[in-house]
Amino acid sequence: MTETAPIPTKTQRASTLVLDGVEVPFQDGESLYQVAQRHRSEVPTLCYDPRLDAFGACRLCVVEVEGFRTPVASCTTRAAAGMKVRTRTDALEQHRKTLLELVASESRDSGDAHGKGTPGHVDPLRGYASQELATLTARYAVDGTRFAGAHSGRSHREDDNPFLLRDYDLCISCYRCVRVCAEREGDHAISVANRGFHTQITTEFGGKLLDSSCTFCGQCVQTCPTGALADRKAMRNAGQPGELTKTRTVCPYCGVGCSVDIVTRGERIVAVQPAMDGPANEGALCVKGQFAWDHVQHPERLKTPLVRDAAGRLVPASWDEALGRAAAGFAKALREHGDESIYAIASGRAPHESAYTIQKLIRAAAGTNFVDNCSRA
Amino acid sequence: MSTPVTDDDILARWRHEPAPLLPVLHAFHDRDGFLSEEAIRCVAKGLRIPLAELYGTVTFYHFFQRFPPGKAAPRVCDGPICALHGCADVLAALRKDGATPMPCAGRCDEPVPVLVGDRQRVADRDGRLEDRATPLPPPRPDGGAECVFARVREPGRATLAGYRAGGGYAGLQRAVRELTPAQVLDLIDASGLAGRGGAGFPTGRKWRAVAEAAGGPKTIVCNADEGEPGCFKDRVLLDHDPHAILEGMAIAARATGATRGFVYLRYEYPHTQGILERAIAEAEAAGLLGESILGTGFSFRVYVRRGAGAYICGEETSLLNSLEGKHPFPRNRPPFPVTHGFEDQPTAVNNVETLCSAGPILARGAEWYRGLGMGNHAGTKVISLSGDVRRPGNYEVPLGLPLATLLHGWAGGPLPGRKVQAVTMAGLSGGFLAGADLDVTLDEPSLRAKGSFLGAGGIMVFDDTRDMVEVAAQAMHFFAHESCGKCFPCRIGTQRLTERLERRAGPGDPATWRREVEDIGRTMKATSACGLGMAAPLVTESLLRYFGPQVEAHLRDRPSGGEAHPA
Ligand SMILES: Cc1cc2nc3c(=O)[nH]c(=O)nc-3n(C[C@H](O)[C@H](O)[C@H](O)COP(=O)(O)O)c2cc1C
Ligand code: SF4
Ligand code: SF4
Ligand code: SF4
Ligand code: FES
Repeated sequence: MTETAPIPTKTQRASTLVLDGVEVPFQDGESLYQVAQRHRSEVPTLCYDPRLDAFGACRLCVVEVEGFRTPVASCTTRAAAGMKVRTRTDALEQHRKTLLELVASESRDSGDAHGKGTPGHVDPLRGYASQELATLTARYAVDGTRFAGAHSGRSHREDDNPFLLRDYDLCISCYRCVRVCAEREGDHAISVANRGFHTQITTEFGGKLLDSSCTFCGQCVQTCPTGALADRKAMRNAGQPGELTKTRTVCPYCGVGCSVDIVTRGERIVAVQPAMDGPANEGALCVKGQFAWDHVQHPERLKTPLVRDAAGRLVPASWDEALGRAAAGFAKALREHGDESIYAIASGRAPHESAYTIQKLIRAAAGTNFVDNCSRA
Repeated sequence: MSTPVTDDDILARWRHEPAPLLPVLHAFHDRDGFLSEEAIRCVAKGLRIPLAELYGTVTFYHFFQRFPPGKAAPRVCDGPICALHGCADVLAALRKDGATPMPCAGRCDEPVPVLVGDRQRVADRDGRLEDRATPLPPPRPDGGAECVFARVREPGRATLAGYRAGGGYAGLQRAVRELTPAQVLDLIDASGLAGRGGAGFPTGRKWRAVAEAAGGPKTIVCNADEGEPGCFKDRVLLDHDPHAILEGMAIAARATGATRGFVYLRYEYPHTQGILERAIAEAEAAGLLGESILGTGFSFRVYVRRGAGAYICGEETSLLNSLEGKHPFPRNRPPFPVTHGFEDQPTAVNNVETLCSAGPILARGAEWYRGLGMGNHAGTKVISLSGDVRRPGNYEVPLGLPLATLLHGWAGGPLPGRKVQAVTMAGLSGGFLAGADLDVTLDEPSLRAKGSFLGAGGIMVFDDTRDMVEVAAQAMHFFAHESCGKCFPCRIGTQRLTERLERRAGPGDPATWRREVEDIGRTMKATSACGLGMAAPLVTESLLRYFGPQVEAHLRDRPSGGEAHPA
């Protein structure tokens, strides 16, 4: 350590360990996985989500620690001063390959067009983390033919909720969905039934999500590393040609300000995914931010302003005419009833720019603060 | 007529007791015969457990029935030894009553046990059932000294009067009246006592860690789950010497500063719960447990909690989760139970036999106990010996005794005209020993040198008429059935190994078969999250080591079942 290293405080003491032959610092309480990840040693994982308590199911993250008889799971092992850790020995890489071959052997083929031929291939529109398994089977050259045997998990096709596809034929029992629902959402809508090879993600009594305490936040979908839980709305656009583009924005529905990525293909929105690095939400969303985007491209969406004719019917009008009519109406109200007669509510479905403009208009033009947003009002 | 027990009665009885979930579930299960949807909803609400979580947890335990005929339907042991004794016939005879199989129920010395409601009975091949007391261990054949079995055969031993007549509770008196907790710890250290439940961890060190750990209340857990196939030793102690367990627990409490204790009893021993509860009541009434023990300021309460059918709940951290009403996956360690155990407070989990040794050690001294072993090995170990020997049963052997002395001297050797082909070690967890490797002594260093271990001390004997591939397939089926499903290598590995041994899937070419089985086994051993997944591949490893030609013949004679069916 250099002389300029910060003085360790009581809560954050820095020590060092040896990672693949290099002495590296770590903070008290860090796991070996966190230390390794920070130093770009590519330790694979499948059951890990940095937002959740380390669980130690997939065992892909095993590392060798001098003095330990068997490898340890780096995600659940705390770093300790002086440890000598190896993350990439031939023996470890062989275990990882065997583990991936075992995992590849338990799932059926997704049927998705994307990435065909790679064990675990699924359409990326299934969810944020859906490519994790396929990425690893490709990296470890797992061809998916070894360890053939029974498949685990059974898809829940009769669950006809509009949001989540429960395609458990692809499930690898990492329990990230169950843990995110309990640890992050506090909803406890799903759990693990049975044991061993027969474990199955379930709601109470094996029923539908609509009959459970599920709030359809979609968090389980977005953490699922196999696409076994998939975004049904996004999947309407699966398998079509064209690149996917992600555009970072902030969810308009309420004042929390969750960061989201709007996923588009050409001019079309095909999905919304949470931004794992969003400062307000760290990947969390609610049902609205996650799933309520259909209106944007809805065929019945208004494309011109409407004004009432003499008979009170709504008829299409030009922007100039519509704005003129609205301005006249506001002016009359102000004249006759004063500035406290106007109150504006912006729609949560409107973009931020519109919401901003509305409050500007009300404050500047009407001179009142009577403005709100539908998600808050 | 007694008034029916209402849901509210059950909740009111247990809600404020420690570790209430298992007793509440059992109360509903006993009342209704199964756990209905209404019952589970009621428990979830009453104990404030999320409904989905409770539902998942209930489905974890194979004795909790969700539908009629429920717990009334017989369960027939189809463990490795009962398989040799016609359990298939028993099962067939009892099918009309809805019988289904269960894993080894801990009565391999007197097969075939059948669980009917709250009774464990013994069946003959025609399915005729009889109630029989747990067999007592045969007297030690060479007349040598014993520790835990020294007085177990005395009539009335299970009563407080009988226990005290044999000098019982002298160890506790000494621990409370004459010694400080530190001196008790020193004594246990000096005795060399190590865990008899499987892992062999030095008991003195475990207790000292709890004593020195910050926080509380501290807890002593007696692990009476005895789930290992081929192990039926704790059962003798539980049924015939319950006060020895309570005395051991109280000594542990005195040494560590614990104020509460649990006996976690396996479901398969229903009659034992009453025996333990009577013993606790007697001991409390006599001032040997409960408030101010022996008139001192030392208090220690003991509760009995019954499991519901899960081998993994014998693993200490899974056991603790089970007690706490959580999903019984094993916990990640560290932290260990000695600092973060029951309800995250310091806890000593000890096996029945370990705890039963404490009283005699306190009463008779560390040197006495050490001296019971042979050579450098301290003390004794109960071996549950079963299978193809003339006199199966529990034998308390001095550690270091040659296996051959036990098999051929004490137990009378194989049946006439047969030869010992193989034995299992540590129940099933130590895999097989065969051939020249039968020349071992019964102690960890000797057995570990052969790639096995003594563990909880179950030894099953298979003579030369047995198909060892078949035995291995049944063994792996057990591990697959009992894998908790938390970690990938064990959850998938036990399934794949079972399929390969049973020829339900996998390659037919011996070289490819061997490569697949060895690769799975190696990764399971190295990466599994707990002892179950680490031990299971010893079965295939030792099978291939000793019985390679039989495996090849098996692959030749039994073509694979072809396309595997979904689970
Ligand atoms: C899969 C598995 C099952 C176990 N089952 C039991 C059991 O039934 N009884 C027992 O005493 N220990 C069992 N153990 C060992 C316990 O985890 C623990 O080491 C033991 O109870 C500690 O007590 P001891 O130190 O007195 O042996 C099991 C361990 C594993 C990995
Ligand atoms: S959508 Fe949200 S609430 Fe529903 S199961 Fe998934 S994580 Fe739980
Ligand atoms: S559904 Fe997905 S997240 Fe849930 S356990 Fe299965 S693979 Fe893991
Ligand atoms: S080794 Fe087996 S029993 Fe142990 S945690 Fe893993 S899956 Fe569960
Ligand atoms: S009691 Fe049946 S095998 Fe042990």
